[in-house]
Amino acid sequence: MTVLTLVGAAVAVGAWFLLLGVVLAATRGPAVRPGPATAALGPQSPAVVDLLTGGWVLSDEAASATLLDLAARRVVTIEEIGPELALVRLGRRDPARGEPDLAPYEQLVLDHVRTLATADGVVATGALAEGARSLGPWWRAFGKAVIAEARAAGLSRPRWSRAQRLLLLGAGAVPMAAVGFAAAAARSGSDGPLGPFAGGAVLTFALLSALVTRLDRECGTDAGGAAASRWLGVREHLAGARFAEAPAAAVTIWGRPLAYAAALGVAGRAVAGLPVAIPADDSRAWSDRGGMWHVVRVDYRGPGPWGRFFWGRAPLHLLGRLAIAAIPSWGVAFLIGILLRAFLDVPVPPELVGLLGALLVVGVPLVGLLLDVGGRGVVEGQVVRLRRRVRSQNENRTTYDHYVALDDGRSRTVRAFGTTAERWEQLTEGDEIRATVSRRVGWVHAAEILTPSRYRTGAPRTP
Amino acid sequence: MSALIVVLVIVVVLILLAVLLVGMYNRLVTSRNAVDNAWAQIDVQLRRRHELIPNLVETVKGYAAHERQTLDAVTAARSAAVSATGPAAQAAAENRLTGALRSLFAVAEAYPQLQAGRNFADLQAELSDTENRIAYARQYYNDAVLGYNNAVQTVPTALVAGVTGFRVREYFTAPDEERGPVAVRFS
Repeated sequence: MTVLTLVGAAVAVGAWFLLLGVVLAATRGPAVRPGPATAALGPQSPAVVDLLTGGWVLSDEAASATLLDLAARRVVTIEEIGPELALVRLGRRDPARGEPDLAPYEQLVLDHVRTLATADGVVATGALAEGARSLGPWWRAFGKAVIAEARAAGLSRPRWSRAQRLLLLGAGAVPMAAVGFAAAAARSGSDGPLGPFAGGAVLTFALLSALVTRLDRECGTDAGGAAASRWLGVREHLAGARFAEAPAAAVTIWGRPLAYAAALGVAGRAVAGLPVAIPADDSRAWSDRGGMWHVVRVDYRGPGPWGRFFWGRAPLHLLGRLAIAAIPSWGVAFLIGILLRAFLDVPVPPELVGLLGALLVVGVPLVGLLLDVGGRGVVEGQVVRLRRRVRSQNENRTTYDHYVALDDGRSRTVRAFGTTAERWEQLTEGDEIRATVSRRVGWVHAAEILTPSRYRTGAPRTP
Repeated sequence: MSALIVVLVIVVVLILLAVLLVGMYNRLVTSRNAVDNAWAQIDVQLRRRHELIPNLVETVKGYAAHERQTLDAVTAARSAAVSATGPAAQAAAENRLTGALRSLFAVAEAYPQLQAGRNFADLQAELSDTENRIAYARQYYNDAVLGYNNAVQTVPTALVAGVTGFRVREYFTAPDEERGPVAVRFS
């Protein structure tokens, strides 16, 4: 009986996968082959072109290409100031013309630029990775809007129709029941058949429906396939135009072809210069403290060879670390002292060598800790980075070290301070804060928000 | 045998020293080139500013020809700025030009027809954007100078810099009231 039900379940599952294969074959998109090289741009926007030529999967380049397209259409301008500095400048609003007529995803990109812009209406291109939005939701909204336009133009469609989805899920009831019966038969000696039946059935259905959802990707229509083929021809033409090394500011000269080249993956430098959909760098932050964008390098380690171990810790935690580090340091130095005395007749007691060894390792941070107990400093600055790093991890719990980097306007390099999880949660990148800190050991004891972040509400906190 | 070891040690030390010195020299050259490049960027923006001013003066003259003193002051300040050389002299001349332009825009406020003119508004906007670009170029240049001067004045690169003729560079300073958020605003 058990073998029969197991075979029945296997057959039912196999039959369902056969059905899935048939539906997959019936719904597959058109085969896209590059058309002849052409310079004629089509009516689609660069973002839609990115979707069509990327196998109906949107790439990061779509957002950068959209910004380049906005620049080509004079909604914004991109100006090069130096080899490592270019600016995106918002166009002046003409009250007579009103808002520019933009697609929803173009509006999302423009809004992102607007939220980052300083009073002058300027954002450094590198600062585009800083964000007024959590990257995940923003990217989903962007993708959704691009797909909506492609669908409206008849270039794209969801893989499953409602009927196909219902067919697959409805047919999934058969393997669900068969696996449920097999599970009940296999566990017949236990408390009763209902539990194993329900468990097996629910698990099977969940797996099958997850698979159906996973495979339900965007798919091309025949018109979309033809458009993609033509755009691949444009790509062949643009690939020979040497856009690969053109900076983003070159859009002033090249116009829309550079935006399309970016969408088609042949304008690498311009795309890299406009990191709209790229997470911000941990160690290179852009700050607009003082009203002008500038780069601040963030170091998460303290000074000296032991900075990695003793910087950014709570005073008590640091004390514990110093005690733990002092013992093996003393032991190693003590052994060296014994060897020095035994082989080289060095007339220094090993205990003293041990003490010197321990002081060599823990002396500087210990003195720093003691000095900081007597006098804490106050720092006013803009929060340019909030990061947390895994300190320890086990099956039940993950412990993090939390860091906050402040640009106080005095240096282009800052050391991130450690802080508590609670204080870290209260801060947002872009906040202007006043922090009471232990400068020598790198710990924030208190933080008061002076001006909440105006452009980074809900900024992403990358672990 | 021991003499050979001593010679080898000396040779290795000399090679390491040479590599170190070449590295420091190259770093100084790279920093100096970055400063020169940043200065060239300022120069581009300043030229743009200088090119805009004659048009601006002509536009204002069309409505306020009798404000000769102010117009002449702008023209003279522009000429001084165009002929200035070196960051300090250039900065001083540009700051005087900024002052003269402020007076010009103050004068322009008394002429509503001039204010309403498209040409004047466009020039004003273009000049404002150029000032902003100059502010960024200045920040970029001063950051490059800071890095270079640090290299020239700190040990051990200061030793190489002293022997090979690297000298500290001047900063391109802004007038006191412009230090801070935004450079110059005319609008």
